[in-house]
Amino acid sequence: MTNVIEIENLNLWYGDHQALKDITIPIKGNKVTALIGPSGCGKSTLIRCINRMNDLVDSCRVEGSMMFHGENIYGPDTDVIKVRKKIGMIFQKPNPFPMSIRDNITYGPKIHGVEDEDELERIVVDSLKKAALWEEVEDRLDSSAMALSGGQQQRLCIARTLSVSPEIILMDEPTSALDPIATAKIEELIDTLVKEFTVVIVTHNMQQASRISDYTGFMYLGEMIEFSKTEKLFTRPSEQLTERYITGRFG
Amino acid sequence: MTETESIRMEGRFHTDTVTKYFLMGIASIAISIVFFIILFIFANSTDAIRDVGIVKLFTTPRWAPGEELFGTVPIISGTLAVTAGAMIIAVPIGVSAAIFISEVAPGRFKTILKSVSEVFAGIPSVVYGFFGLMYLVPVLRDLFPDKLLLGSSWLAGSILLGIMALPTIISVSEDALNAVPRSYREASLAMGATKWETTRKVVTPAAVSGISTAIILGMGRAIGETMAVMMVCGNTPIVPDPFYNVFSGIRPITASLAFEMSYVVVGSTYYSALFFLALVLMGMVLLVSLVSKMMVSRTRKRFGEVKEGETVLHKLASKLPVSVVNGIKNGVWALVLFTVVLIASKPWLNVLGAAVLGAAVTAFSISVALLWINKLEKEGRLGADGRPLNASEFFEMLSTKTKARIRRALGLLAIVVLIYMPVSLFYDDVTSVLSGIAVAALFVVWKRLYRKVDSMRAQKVAHTGLMLVMAVTIGILLVIIVRIFVEGLPTVTWEFLTGFPEDAGRAGGIYPAIVGTLKLVAGAMIIALPLGIISGIYLAEYSKDTPLTRTIRNCIDILSGTPSIVFGLFGMTVFVILFGWGYSLIGGCITLGFMILPVIIRTTEEALKAVPQELREGSLAMGATKWQTTVKVVLPAAFGSVITGIILAIGRAAGETAPIMFTAVVAFQSKIPKSIFDPVMALPYQLYYLSTEGIAPPGMRSGVAVVLLSLVLSMFVLASIVRYHYNKKFKW
Ligand SMILES: Nc1ncnc2c1ncn2[C@@H]1O[C@H](COP(=O)(O)OP(=O)(O)OP(=O)(O)O)[C@@H](O)[C@H]1O
Ligand SMILES: [Mg+2]
Repeated sequence: MTNVIEIENLNLWYGDHQALKDITIPIKGNKVTALIGPSGCGKSTLIRCINRMNDLVDSCRVEGSMMFHGENIYGPDTDVIKVRKKIGMIFQKPNPFPMSIRDNITYGPKIHGVEDEDELERIVVDSLKKAALWEEVEDRLDSSAMALSGGQQQRLCIARTLSVSPEIILMDEPTSALDPIATAKIEELIDTLVKEFTVVIVTHNMQQASRISDYTGFMYLGEMIEFSKTEKLFTRPSEQLTERYITGRFG
Repeated sequence: MTETESIRMEGRFHTDTVTKYFLMGIASIAISIVFFIILFIFANSTDAIRDVGIVKLFTTPRWAPGEELFGTVPIISGTLAVTAGAMIIAVPIGVSAAIFISEVAPGRFKTILKSVSEVFAGIPSVVYGFFGLMYLVPVLRDLFPDKLLLGSSWLAGSILLGIMALPTIISVSEDALNAVPRSYREASLAMGATKWETTRKVVTPAAVSGISTAIILGMGRAIGETMAVMMVCGNTPIVPDPFYNVFSGIRPITASLAFEMSYVVVGSTYYSALFFLALVLMGMVLLVSLVSKMMVSRTRKRFGEVKEGETVLHKLASKLPVSVVNGIKNGVWALVLFTVVLIASKPWLNVLGAAVLGAAVTAFSISVALLWINKLEKEGRLGADGRPLNASEFFEMLSTKTKARIRRALGLLAIVVLIYMPVSLFYDDVTSVLSGIAVAALFVVWKRLYRKVDSMRAQKVAHTGLMLVMAVTIGILLVIIVRIFVEGLPTVTWEFLTGFPEDAGRAGGIYPAIVGTLKLVAGAMIIALPLGIISGIYLAEYSKDTPLTRTIRNCIDILSGTPSIVFGLFGMTVFVILFGWGYSLIGGCITLGFMILPVIIRTTEEALKAVPQELREGSLAMGATKWQTTVKVVLPAAFGSVITGIILAIGRAAGETAPIMFTAVVAFQSKIPKSIFDPVMALPYQLYYLSTEGIAPPGMRSGVAVVLLSLVLSMFVLASIVRYHYNKKFKW
């Protein structure tokens, strides 16, 4: 199994505050990697590092390396735009644009230079199908995306990310704003997505992590305490801290 | 067993209920002011409507009171023209500046730029007019010597009004852009869009309702503006020929009122016709505010926040049968098409020919649409919803590609027309059409090339462009203020400030004008403050969503949109004529007070609403009444914001000319009047008088401008200090 991403000795500061300490983990291709840990431990920070969304924070400074197919994402001549095209992101709260469903999907391809109407149409259908939303919206592609339910909106966001054919999809607590049924649908979707994509997911829900992920990393106070196969981490953790966290004796 | 107090009400009135009705009574004053303003204007215009006839008022092509011709067309078209021109200038600049402030400027510059644009808004309109007359008009005259004999023109008016509408457009658009959720930006950036692409394709479209509101508010300001247009538009009530001849003199409604009211015979048809103009002006302002509300709800609908029946028009539409609504919609579209063709062909055909052509083109387009629909119906290509019933449904039905093509074609046509119009003022038709086509072609080429440009480079270019626009905007403000100060400051001596005027105001000091302005403002505040603050408290703390409070709110909206000259007319008919006070300090104070009332109400309401709910709950939970909570907890917490708002209102009142020029002021006094029923001198009127009527030395005029500007700007400084001080003290 190849490592799509290799994070090595990654340190990150927000001003003086060090939010990530010496993180070293691999991200395996076509697998789901979950990040768990108590609130404020740096999960979001780490996942946002992978497609350089932290560039938006002025006070943020990164050291160490993050190799994507052997190229450093933080290298001096890296094109952030290409990085983000290859590595898409889904956020905690569904955030479709206030446009039609179709325009939401064609936004990315248009930005990246696709003009042909037929090609765009194909992308719309394809992405919606892959995001398991096609049947529900096929006859209202031109109506507002804001009228969809929360779960549908989140799947639309996934379709929107798929529209630019990324390799990796990052998800920061993608189901925490959704009800159980919508959550189940997204989990199911993730299961099919990994056949084609690599998924990194942050979650607060340990059942979710154990259900859907192949690898899990447990973080605490900016450090990666333990990283291993999900099954192992949840059944035979090697660190005491991990064990305490997954058994709920934490605090 | 210990004795406990009963929790029953013990047969007395609930004090909170009494307070509530008292506050409601005060707040309802806004309704009566609106009612009386409209009533008085309407009552005074009935003579004209009866004597001349409503049709003639709207169709006679000339306004020539000497010949008993009272056609309002040239004057209404003056308002439309100057407003349209102002918007063409202000919208691109204002929206770009807002985008720069909200999306590009680094954090600490944002606040500075925002307060600078607030200062823009605070400069009195008479000072803008003075600037226009002294500096802008001569520049235009030198630029276009064969076109402009005097320089005063539609062009000058629109430039000046454009500058004046900028702050409104900038600050309201900026708020709208700022309110776009961060999550939209993140989503776009996370897909590899640049910041500029995000701004252009996500943030700005998401803010479009707010930006439209900003534009409409700017339009409202331009329509209602009096002093500036009076001073630079050329004072000629004619329809420009051709209709886009920006070098023509015009005279908008407000300027006509201000000019002619001063010499018209009270009670004549002429007098009444002027009130009819004021009625039309009010109608336009109401329409503008209605449209802005509709705009907001319409874009909301597009974004999925559907709310039914939000404006009067929507409610009306939902009551009518669908066929009638569709009929009206189609009628409006047909009318628009007809008018466009008519106006466009007018330069080559006579009116009748143009009308026939317009009708022909309209009929042709309707039949094409009908045939097209029939064809689709036969081929069974119309979905389950059946045939489209109005023009916009028809457009929606077209394929995405066709829609894009139509939009593109219309865009190119618009470019050709927009280039043709100004060029044809200088060159012959062929040259003008060709240059229009050339520019459209260049545009197409540019768009092709633009696609190939690296997106980061495009962003750099765009951001630099926005920065330049911002710099020019700030530059204009600096030029206005610096020029006035440089010329006027040497005149401002101790004798100038404390001496009495000589030679009909052309020399000597301006002491009575300073005192007069202070008195007017103080009097206005004595009237507006209690009423305004109490109404604000009622709206923020006590009002529920009842028909009455909705009416109060609508009336406050109407009041704050009412042009200042309308307040002036109202004050004149009531205090000067009806009460027989003549020009008096008290008449001016009441008029000015009414004008400033909506500002105070809004300020108070917003300040109180910003106080966190927990504070109220904390007090109420201890058994305090609502009134006690309001007075002891909420008001003190909102004090800083209320005071800031009041100071700004004082600055605004000090600079107003139109409301006092027919109610209170004279141009020359050799002593300070004692009685409140005496007229006074005032700085803004003095500036107007010296700039237009008296042949005063330049230093004298600029001197008055400097004093007035200093007074107004010092209010701004004071307000910022207060705001800063309280922001430090209360933070939540
Ligand atoms: N933009 C920022 N500026 C400064 N500090 C930040 C910023 N974002 C996060 N932090 C800090 O970095 C640390 C890690 O935050 P992060 O959001 O990554 O945690 P998290 O694990 O995602 O928490 P949660 O489960 O609550 O989402 C926290 O201490 C937080 O306060
Ligand atoms: Mg997080």
